[in-house]
Amino acid sequence: MDKSMKILIVDDFATMRKVVRNLLKQVGYENIVEAEDGALALRALKSQKIDFIISDWNMPNMNGLELLKAVRADGDLGKTPFLMVTAEALQENVIAAVKAGVSNYIVKPFTAEVLNDKIRKIVEKL
Amino acid sequence: MIMKNEILAQSIEGLASDFLFLDRKEIDVPAAGNFLNALDGIAVEAEKAAFEEAATVAKALNVLLEKIVLLQIDDSEMAYGALERGITSLQEIVRSYENQGKFDRDIDEPLSLILEACGDDRIRDLMGGGETGRQYREPEEAGTTGEEVKTELAEIEDEGLLRDFITEGLEYISEIEVNILNLEQNPEDKDCINTIFRPFHSIKGVAGFLNLSEIRTLAHSLENLLDKARNDELEVTPSLIDVVLDGADTLKSMISRWKDRLEGKEARPLNTDLPLLAKKIEDVEKGVQETPKPKKLGEILLSDGVISEEVLEASLRTSQETTPKKKIGETLIHEGKASPKQVTQALRKQAEQVSEATTIRIDTRKLDDLIDMVGELVITQSMIQQGLSQQFNADRKLMRTVAQFFRITSELQRISTSLRMMPIKQTFQRMARLARDLGKNAGKQLTVEFEGEETEIDRNMVDEIYNPLVHMIRNSVDHGLESAEERFGAGKPEKGLIRLKAYHRGGNIVIEITDDGKGLNRDKILDKAKKNGMISNTENLTEQDIYRLIFLPGFSTAEKVTEVSGRGVGMDVVRQAIDRLRGKIDIESVPGAGTTFITSFPLTLAIIDGMIVKVGSERYILPTTAIRQALRPVRSSYNSITGKGETINVMGKLLPLVRVYELFDKEPLHRNPWEAIVIVLEGEGRSKCLMVDEIVGKAEVVIKSLGEGLKNIKGISGGAILGDGQIGLIIDPEGLFDLSEGNGGAAL
Repeated sequence: MDKSMKILIVDDFATMRKVVRNLLKQVGYENIVEAEDGALALRALKSQKIDFIISDWNMPNMNGLELLKAVRADGDLGKTPFLMVTAEALQENVIAAVKAGVSNYIVKPFTAEVLNDKIRKIVEKL
Repeated sequence: MIMKNEILAQSIEGLASDFLFLDRKEIDVPAAGNFLNALDGIAVEAEKAAFEEAATVAKALNVLLEKIVLLQIDDSEMAYGALERGITSLQEIVRSYENQGKFDRDIDEPLSLILEACGDDRIRDLMGGGETGRQYREPEEAGTTGEEVKTELAEIEDEGLLRDFITEGLEYISEIEVNILNLEQNPEDKDCINTIFRPFHSIKGVAGFLNLSEIRTLAHSLENLLDKARNDELEVTPSLIDVVLDGADTLKSMISRWKDRLEGKEARPLNTDLPLLAKKIEDVEKGVQETPKPKKLGEILLSDGVISEEVLEASLRTSQETTPKKKIGETLIHEGKASPKQVTQALRKQAEQVSEATTIRIDTRKLDDLIDMVGELVITQSMIQQGLSQQFNADRKLMRTVAQFFRITSELQRISTSLRMMPIKQTFQRMARLARDLGKNAGKQLTVEFEGEETEIDRNMVDEIYNPLVHMIRNSVDHGLESAEERFGAGKPEKGLIRLKAYHRGGNIVIEITDDGKGLNRDKILDKAKKNGMISNTENLTEQDIYRLIFLPGFSTAEKVTEVSGRGVGMDVVRQAIDRLRGKIDIESVPGAGTTFITSFPLTLAIIDGMIVKVGSERYILPTTAIRQALRPVRSSYNSITGKGETINVMGKLLPLVRVYELFDKEPLHRNPWEAIVIVLEGEGRSKCLMVDEIVGKAEVVIKSLGEGLKNIKGISGGAILGDGQIGLIIDPEGLFDLSEGNGGAAL
């Protein structure tokens, strides 16, 4: 497992970004960048090579689904693994994300192990 | 037709082969996504081709696959079996249509398999009516998954994280508070609901990780409520807004309690009845009205027996269908279902209900009159007081009664002034909105923070201070805050911050507008001022002096600034408006860290804080805000230069001397400045020395207009009744300066 891949965390809530960052660190990922919403994430994606996206659904400006669609529609970024973070019981969201080509989804709250597992499975299939 | 069927057949074949590669142990999400999209496409194509059975099966498969993706399937073997059966059934249907032009069997068998596998009601709907399959019902609020997902919570005993959560969470809640008031004004605004929904959602998310179950549960239920409002399942009613505000308050105290604990303090008690709050939320969610809403007109007519329920419903429908919407009363009259008299009576009843409320609207003029009269009462009272104290053998009993009367009067005055006071909150909210809109236009992200929004201010002042505040906000957003890239480069958070702060100091309300932008550029200001010839190179200026230059007329290089279309420049306009309100403005700025505009305004325009001075037998009131200093000059500081007029040297500056008695034609006590008192007044950038005989004291006086005939006297802005019942004239510094320069009107 390549632990040096660059992961982008997208969430408008700074504390949440930190939570995810800490969890990632616990399982050995250190190369992490953050963005505050979809629009800023897209900008980050265009300016640097990012290997994996972990994005929240609910954000101002550009939400997770819009970001996902933008990524999938982009020739260069199109195949970037995309893990959507959602809250429980928001099933329509999950289905919409799946239809838009999300790599997988994860339901809050989650442990470092679950997160690691999801990432591993996505990357293995590449 | 053939083509379409071919596409359909091909996609079904594709689906069938994809199915073989589907990972049955653990669903591959992207593959499932493709599968779902393919099924959607098949359903559409089948409908176009009028292969109803195929469309129905495709929809049922969609539901089943959704359930698989959501991990809501107990028996996955059965689910995959049903999936396979569904696909073969699709193949059969399409083949049958192709070969025989019809499909004469039913699809109950595959559908019941699918139903058995996933147990979803939507399948039952599909089986029931075939046709009704198109309408997609919102999935049930799946309480079960929500709870099941509660795997062991992440162990984050990270204090720093908790600290971050507290700060950010509290910020989010204050954002909620602002936005919900916007929502109250635009209950239909979906964006508005969204801006409130999002912070609750975020708080819930992090609280889940931090194991703060109490916070999580509350945020979750509020989020649910707003989600329903967002999806039009709930109406945004005042009780919904109340309960959300209550909830936000409670969340705030819950988070604050954690803050206390972290700081090692004893946590403040939580003053909320949580079960009661939960009950309230539940009631709102179920649409139970806590307080009965004022009855609608139709309901009144109904209970009066004027119309029947059927008639009402029919009329409601027509009045909604007509564009523009007709009122129900009009429709009923128009249709002859009720007489105009009956409708008016009902309307009157409706109006009566409203007046039962605890607040009433009052014309502000009436309020002003009341306050004015109370002011007179207070003055009369002090006249009685003085008269009595001069009476040698006043009746003791009378004295006591009068003392009691005084207490009542002053209380009356306090209450009446408070009637016109209102919190500055509304103004702040308008500012916050404006700032956000401006930010959006300029492509800058920003948050607006409030402090002291409960601070009260005279209603009349609210409108007056609006324009200057707007200009300052514009200035902060346009010129203060940097773009996200610049901020990022400077190591600041990408989101800019505008903070509005209000508090009382003395008889003034102080309003501070702070941005965390780049700060004022000292050198740029100096350059510009030099270029415009406002200062010469040699002048030693303090930072404050330099910043103040931006308020000078002619500093702004922009075209003429109008009240409405100003581009955030033209700070001299701000300065003038503030002067007019007898306010003050100051700037603090740290390069790279931001700028603060500190403005202070009198709480009310009806009362002025003044210094009473005497010239001969006449008394004048000088507004304290205009006074810079008072002194008795030494003889040597006086200069008289022919053609240039008289000056006094005040701390190295030669200021023109204005002999008040000459302007107003009075007989003074002193004619030599070194015997009299000189007061340095400032107005519109000019400073002059006013020569008066003596300073009597300081007083707050109620401003009285001089009446129509004397309204336009230059140098005098009004009159006031002083403590002894005598009249004093209030000096208008600017007018007086004009007068002294010989361009005034009639002297008194």
